[in-house]
Amino acid sequence: MAFPFTSIVGQEEMKLSLILNIIDPRIGGVLVMGHRGTGKSTTVRALAEVLPLIDRVKGDIYNRTVEQYIEMESGVKGAPVLKASDVKTEKIPVPVVDLPLGATEDRVCGTIDIEKALTSGVKAFEPGLLAQANRGFLYIDEVNLLDDHLVDVLLDVAASGKNVVEREGISIRHPARFVLVGSGNPEEGELRPQLLDRFGLHARIITINDVAKRVEIVKLRREYDENPEAFLKKVVRQQQKLQKEIVAAQKLLPKVSMDDSVLTDIARLCMALGIDGHRGELTITRTAHAFAALQGDTNVTMEHVRKIAGLCLRHRLRKDPLETVDAGEKIDRELAKVLGEAEVAA
Amino acid sequence: MIAFTDIVGMDLAKQALMLLAVDPSLGGVVIPSTVGSGKSTLARAFADILPEGTPFVELPLNVTEDRLIGGVDLEATLASGQRVVQHGVLSKAHKGVLYVDSLSLLDSSAVSHIMDAMSRGAVIVEREGLSEVHPADFMLVGTYDPSDGEVRMGLLDRIGIIVPFTPVNDYRARKQIVSLVMGTRNEEDTQDELRMLRGIIGAAREQLHHVSITNEQIKGLIQTAISLGVEGNRVDIFAIRAALANAALGQRTEVDDEDLKLAVKLVLVPRATRMPEREPSEEEMQQEEPPPPEEQPEQEGEDENAPPDETDSDADEEQEETPDMIEELMMDAIETDLPENILNISLASKKKAKSGSRGEALNNKRGRFVRSQPGEIKSGKVALIPTLISAAPWQAARKAEKAKKGIKTGALVISTDDVKIKRFRDKSGTLFIFMVDASGSMALNRMRQAKGAVASLLQNAYVHRDQVSLISFRGKQAQVLLPPSQSVDRAKRELDVLPTGGGTPLASALLTGWETAKQARTKGITQIMFVMITDGRGNIPLAAAVDPAAAKAPKEELEKEVEALALSIQSDGIASIVVDTQMNYLSRGEAPKLAQKLGGRYFYLPNAKAEQIVEAALS
Repeated sequence: MAFPFTSIVGQEEMKLSLILNIIDPRIGGVLVMGHRGTGKSTTVRALAEVLPLIDRVKGDIYNRTVEQYIEMESGVKGAPVLKASDVKTEKIPVPVVDLPLGATEDRVCGTIDIEKALTSGVKAFEPGLLAQANRGFLYIDEVNLLDDHLVDVLLDVAASGKNVVEREGISIRHPARFVLVGSGNPEEGELRPQLLDRFGLHARIITINDVAKRVEIVKLRREYDENPEAFLKKVVRQQQKLQKEIVAAQKLLPKVSMDDSVLTDIARLCMALGIDGHRGELTITRTAHAFAALQGDTNVTMEHVRKIAGLCLRHRLRKDPLETVDAGEKIDRELAKVLGEAEVAA
Repeated sequence: MIAFTDIVGMDLAKQALMLLAVDPSLGGVVIPSTVGSGKSTLARAFADILPEGTPFVELPLNVTEDRLIGGVDLEATLASGQRVVQHGVLSKAHKGVLYVDSLSLLDSSAVSHIMDAMSRGAVIVEREGLSEVHPADFMLVGTYDPSDGEVRMGLLDRIGIIVPFTPVNDYRARKQIVSLVMGTRNEEDTQDELRMLRGIIGAAREQLHHVSITNEQIKGLIQTAISLGVEGNRVDIFAIRAALANAALGQRTEVDDEDLKLAVKLVLVPRATRMPEREPSEEEMQQEEPPPPEEQPEQEGEDENAPPDETDSDADEEQEETPDMIEELMMDAIETDLPENILNISLASKKKAKSGSRGEALNNKRGRFVRSQPGEIKSGKVALIPTLISAAPWQAARKAEKAKKGIKTGALVISTDDVKIKRFRDKSGTLFIFMVDASGSMALNRMRQAKGAVASLLQNAYVHRDQVSLISFRGKQAQVLLPPSQSVDRAKRELDVLPTGGGTPLASALLTGWETAKQARTKGITQIMFVMITDGRGNIPLAAAVDPAAAKAPKEELEKEVEALALSIQSDGIASIVVDTQMNYLSRGEAPKLAQKLGGRYFYLPNAKAEQIVEAALS
């Protein structure tokens, strides 16, 4: 039982980033970096309760859809031809897999089932966390402390959307598309640039210094600790409301469109900020679509872009350690220029 | 074994442990204190006052990952043919106490696992084909000696109470401790006292549900946390819990001022990053203000996103609400303590670490054995047991297969797939310790160069796992501005403040650098390089730090000090470079001499750019 998502006070950036990724997983995940003790893990672990349900083949360890299942299983030599009507399905909440720091590679990628091999001499594949995370979220707390070796594995899989395990003459490939969510405190160590770049969004999180808000946090927390069940009952309405909003946005997303002029402005913004490659533009475009859908708008404007530009670009600016200007300010300034607004005197 | 009630002195630490006994959700107690003060005795005696049967697990310092987290018990599994799961140390402490002696010497991956378990209240085991959740909701009691280095902030953030550091030097109390160790106390008295104490704690646990705290009091604690610049919001809850537990110990139904003060003292002050600002009172205006302690330079608030006017009004309110409480506590908290016998520099053992080549951060050859992983035989040391385990299930099948093909097999058929390689964690990056002469007119310039160099080294720190530390020296003694770190963010923040001017305590700088180096060595960093940015003209002796009268010392003595230190540093296998930024053409050659004493290299860079310094350090 986790502290409910809708009772988390403040930290809007992180909450918005997560919700946008539910609406469109292609945004490419979120990296949440910032102060200690600000509710990073609490927020991510609260996510599962507001996620919409998905359909999967009943009991399928890879959470596949009927189409994926038929496509993969019919390809096997000597397998009977499957029809959609033959396959039973079930509804499950979007999976959220929490990767512990001490995980070994065999449990992440999956391995041969030792027990079955020992007891019945059968070579069977035992899927790992990557299989469980397919079509869902993979969360890594303290991502900057994760073993490099595992980081490399995750990056490969995240890039290809597939996990391949070969051993003892068995070769397994299974889909592994997940939204990568990482959190950490930059003081514990910097993140590798390759890894930084893999995350679609970068939310910053800082200590809340507003007394009233902090009193509110404390009150909610104490009430929850006192009696979790009663607390959850009280907020079930809010939780359902948020879930409905997310589902509505998911439905609206295919209908959202964007004018070429907005695309041009986005490209100009990325150029002005000296961002390499097209990943920045792509992320902004997708995120702006998802944000518009969340707002119930069918047309993306630069106002939508303004709200999410910081999230998309902050970690893509070239790092200059002696720079005193915050990345967010820089992005705002260039945005104002692109939009031809008068520069606000600093 | 000395009982909790027999321990003399350390009242604050005892109080802290009692609060934890009343409310385990405080997470734990950390007791920093010097060697021989009895802190470990006290921590181990903590079990005395807990309910019968509470687990008490001591964490060995060199604990391996699998012992910590748990996993498959290989021996039992092989013996029985069924998978046997072994619980790790963390889950053995469930509903009880995890005790760590020398918390600051704990390996950083162990710290990460403890943090992870504390944040979940459980250990997630995803290892060696095993997938389980073991509950691990424990109280962490940790002791450490600050001279061994600091405890990671991320861990401290999850532990409710941090006892302020006070070296024990009460002679009478010590004498009593000694007589206790000699066993001159009456066992019966001890048992009676313990029973009474357990009764008090049991009653307080009951009482805890009936204690209330007002909104105003909560606000006061939160405002105090903000004005002390404590990072994060988790401390608010801890402070409230501590106040409530203290009221419960006093069998009260309402939190009073004393409870709040104690909460500030044990929860908030130890995490302060800045001194609260306050308006001096009328009286003080007339008196002379004591100089602010140099220990904690003021820092700008970090809430870049908060509109400035908001923070200002916050500050005003604080001053109305909590000045007395804080002031009083601040005075307690900032008793600076100086290491005794600062002049007793032991000559280091003559061991030479290899310097020069930069190792790899992760490798398969050296360092501490961490875990095994699949790999090529050629790529490292084979982990025999895991390899055999992995091969065991297949023996029958493989032998049958080979027999079919008419191939004779030995006792064991091992395929390349079985091979597991030992992986070692070797943080063999280099630690660059910058020592910047912050005295005199060139100080600002040197500082800028050093900052630039630090920043630029950190840019690539990730690649080599390098770390950077920065020590500035001026006035009476050197000061560590930035402990060894890889964090660009932190370096930026810590190096923002720099007082300049005053004398040049060169010996103190060398000593501080050497101590920093020694601490880093205990954490697995082998290669260390001093980068000294100075003209090499020390004029303040070590003794000045403890005795202002000693600040004037004859030149020979100053030189002797520096020389003795430099020799020790050199024989400790620490590489050095001295960057001379002297503009004056008539330099008296102090800096080259220093380089020579350190057995290091000398660079004359009067207008050094940061890049040049980095180049020199890496050349």
